Amino acid sequence: MDFYFGLAQIIGVHTLIGLSAYIVLLTGQVSLAQAGFFAVGAYAAGMLTVLAGWAILPALAASALLGAAVACAVGFPALRVKGLMLVIATLAFGEGVRLFFFNFDYQVAKGGVKLGPLGGEGFRQIRYFPENGWTTMDVMLFIWAFVVLTMALLWWFDRSRYGAVLRAVGEDELAAQSVGLNLTAVKVSAMTVGGAIAGLGGGIYAHYTTHIEHASFGILLATFAIAYPILGGLGSVFGTLLAAVFVQGFLVEGLRFLGDWRNLLFGALIVVAMNVRPRGFLDAPTLLWLKRLFARTGGGSGAA
Amino acid sequence: MLDFLQALSDGVLFGATYALIGIGFTLVFGVMHKINMAYGAASVGGAYCGLLVLQVMAGAPPLVVFFCAFLAGGLLGWLVYLTCFHFIPITNPLATLMATVGMLLLIDEIIVHTTAGMPMAYPAMFDDVMLRVGEFTLRGDLMMVFAVSVLCMAGLLALLYRTRLGLATRAVSQQTVAALLCGIRVGQVNATTFVVTGLLGGIAGAMIGASVGTLSPLLTTPLTVKGLIVTVIGGLGSVPGAIIAGLMVGGFESVLQLYRGVTERDLYVMLLLFVFLVFRPGGLFAAKGGRD
Repeated sequence: MDFYFGLAQIIGVHTLIGLSAYIVLLTGQVSLAQAGFFAVGAYAAGMLTVLAGWAILPALAASALLGAAVACAVGFPALRVKGLMLVIATLAFGEGVRLFFFNFDYQVAKGGVKLGPLGGEGFRQIRYFPENGWTTMDVMLFIWAFVVLTMALLWWFDRSRYGAVLRAVGEDELAAQSVGLNLTAVKVSAMTVGGAIAGLGGGIYAHYTTHIEHASFGILLATFAIAYPILGGLGSVFGTLLAAVFVQGFLVEGLRFLGDWRNLLFGALIVVAMNVRPRGFLDAPTLLWLKRLFARTGGGSGAA
Repeated sequence: MLDFLQALSDGVLFGATYALIGIGFTLVFGVMHKINMAYGAASVGGAYCGLLVLQVMAGAPPLVVFFCAFLAGGLLGWLVYLTCFHFIPITNPLATLMATVGMLLLIDEIIVHTTAGMPMAYPAMFDDVMLRVGEFTLRGDLMMVFAVSVLCMAGLLALLYRTRLGLATRAVSQQTVAALLCGIRVGQVNATTFVVTGLLGGIAGAMIGASVGTLSPLLTTPLTVKGLIVTVIGGLGSVPGAIIAGLMVGGFESVLQLYRGVTERDLYVMLLLFVFLVFRPGGLFAAKGGRD
């Protein structure tokens, strides 16, 4: 059973990083920096609980805030350039963060053991959960509480004026600008919210793996982050969840019997999926169809 | 001072390969306004295909290997066009971007799978030649890399500015709709651009293999990042910009490797990019207005 709980933990964290890219994608910007914010959150939360002895919740709050602050700071120069330039700028930023942690040493001796990040060796012994006697199930429920909370928040955003503003900028910048929207403010705010979610996800990730190193935060993770919302479709937050479950649950775990070939399949599947469904699994027509379906069955049971 | 000059010259010579990769990104961007993220991987893939010759014909001269890498690169470029651009609606930039990222992972994994992840030795030419001026040396293999790259760039510029195909390519890049109205087959021009950039990528991959001495799948990520940085610094869509920026980035990283070590080197290249983004977001040779 612990295996499935572990899998659910992975899916939860990946959903969080996917959601962090989702809100940025809504404004039509592709950010490959989410892995960088994730790394910042992971190292920050790990250092706070291990070195400063904080409890998990304040540490996660701090990592989310730090992720937001970094994203906001990156957003201003990076968003001066549009579209494809942003892809490159954020890609370089993400790699920059990874290289920073590759060269980052900050060790403190605690009870005869040296703890803390050590460059290429990574950051070991982030043992908050085991030390406080959390079981795998507790951790899983803890993670999913945050996933549900984040999804609810984004779902509510989508239905509020803010969501409409984000989508307006994403659909047509010129039109959005001509109705008086401040493009930079909208994009940087989306980036900041995305950074907060990524920082939170990173903080959680650091604690359930107990060992983080720079290599985990490379381009592959950044790719996963934008792959979930794009594969799932930008129509709804559930698309991201669906894609994370599909990729992590089915492609990565379910196809383990294929051995090395599984990795080949992943790239090929993205290519095929984009050719067949360029707007993702849950695109606008599918969502409409689902909505009608639920409305009909809901109405039917109400009448009966 | 001598160390500095030595590092700078080595870096600039090696930078010629970055320039080739940068040209590939910039050309595709110029014509389609899209980024082909699979380009770095396809280039390394082309270089690996060159090695296949050694399997068939043991002891083939390096020139044959390079030529096969060149051809294989072109073929891979066409395949990337077909899988990631041809069938996906042009109005959906996210889907093409994601598809090329998928292609990047796929090519990377195919390389890892067929070579079992082991780095492979790559043949070089003139690697025993050393040009000495006092303490200062120029490595023969790096000079060969530089010469081949310059030759390819000259060929490309001739193709762009002296042939009908080049004229059509430039027309599509400037005004796609107008080019369409003039009877230029835009789809065909796009496909040809991918083949041409693929050919360049194949030779760039082979040159990198020749100057480093080994090929490894680990090359694809840094190559993609460096190529994209070169593209931005040079100005998106500008071929001369990519050439100058490539040589510049090569020299810059080599000098910083001398002073700050190999693990910190790339960090400073990223910083250089951000300096450009803040102070000169259009790059060295910014395209005049109206471009995204």
